[in-house]
Amino acid sequence: MIWSKRHPKIAWLFLLIGSAVWAQSGKAPSVSMAPVGPVSAQRGKQSKITLNFRVAPGFHVNSNTPKDEFLIPTALKMDPPTDVVLGKIEYPNGVDVSFPFSPDTKLNVYSGDFTINLMVHPLVSVVPGKYAMRGVLRYQACDNAQCFPPKTLPVNFDVKVVKEPPPPQHNPKQSPHVHS
Amino acid sequence: MLRHMLCSPFLVLGVLLTTSVGLDHGQETSPPPAAPVNSGPTLRLAPGSPAPEFTLESVNGESVRLSDFHGQAVLIHFWATWCGPCKITMPWLVDLQSKHSARGFRVLAIALDDDATNVEIGEFADQLRVNFPVLIGNEKVAEAYGGVPAMPESFLVSRDGRIVERIIGITSKSELEKSVTTALNARAADASPTPTASQAQK
Repeated sequence: MIWSKRHPKIAWLFLLIGSAVWAQSGKAPSVSMAPVGPVSAQRGKQSKITLNFRVAPGFHVNSNTPKDEFLIPTALKMDPPTDVVLGKIEYPNGVDVSFPFSPDTKLNVYSGDFTINLMVHPLVSVVPGKYAMRGVLRYQACDNAQCFPPKTLPVNFDVKVVKEPPPPQHNPKQSPHVHS
Repeated sequence: MLRHMLCSPFLVLGVLLTTSVGLDHGQETSPPPAAPVNSGPTLRLAPGSPAPEFTLESVNGESVRLSDFHGQAVLIHFWATWCGPCKITMPWLVDLQSKHSARGFRVLAIALDDDATNVEIGEFADQLRVNFPVLIGNEKVAEAYGGVPAMPESFLVSRDGRIVERIIGITSKSELEKSVTTALNARAADASPTPTASQAQK
């Protein structure tokens, strides 16, 4: 605490290093989500929210539409508040790749960074304010030789529901006498 | 002075950085290790150590014990329906089972699959024309074999019930066959090369 006040840069460095050590300790999940910035959604209208995910280097996860019925697709499941209606979830196209263990078979996967878009529609009756969106991303990761059991990544962020914007303001006609 | 040095933020920072770099180096050369970090199970599963005994139910409802196959070389194969590399490996195992069964080789495929029902696992195995017992695994068996954090993972067991080799991840069919031959030849003089009729039916 004192350090963070006296040496704010060092405190940040410690935080970064701590995160790096934790992430590399083998317990880090294979997929992580970037923090979601402030999200505003106008009530009565549909808004798009972009969620950014990263697959750890050396891994891949099945896309949302894998080519084999037994493979587990990457899927987002949200549990929105009552008055915020969830719209379409847009998944990116996966990339067809083959792996050393199956050079003749193409798998449709995500690797590196990928984005999922989520449409939300706060009802007109919603009281403006902050609403918690809670959900999970389910995925199943593999490397070039093995596959890891399916996992779920918490997907949590807040949506600030705002009122309708004020109607456009028309400048009142100026009285001719003002400039006369 | 010493106290001052020990309390120095730069010293602590240095230690943390060293730790970080060390871990980073280990991780960059390969993806997260499949073998358990805990040395206990690893030591227990070292070549020459007895293969942990288990009794599991097959997809056909039969109770199967590892010790039922004493006298045969056994490939214990952990797999799951959602595992792409496992699906590639299965036909290889079918071929190896056919080719080496007369010499006393037996595959035991243990499904660790929370996402599929026993029926689905059975259907999956039927699709691949599996000619060996497919068993429904559980956490206890997985723990006994080092946790099986990823699949496929296989253990070759000699005729006298000792671990010959642990195979992590997919390998080539020829490599796998080489390992099977090694297991068949391990302590061959001490064990019966021919399976009993009841064992062969399983």
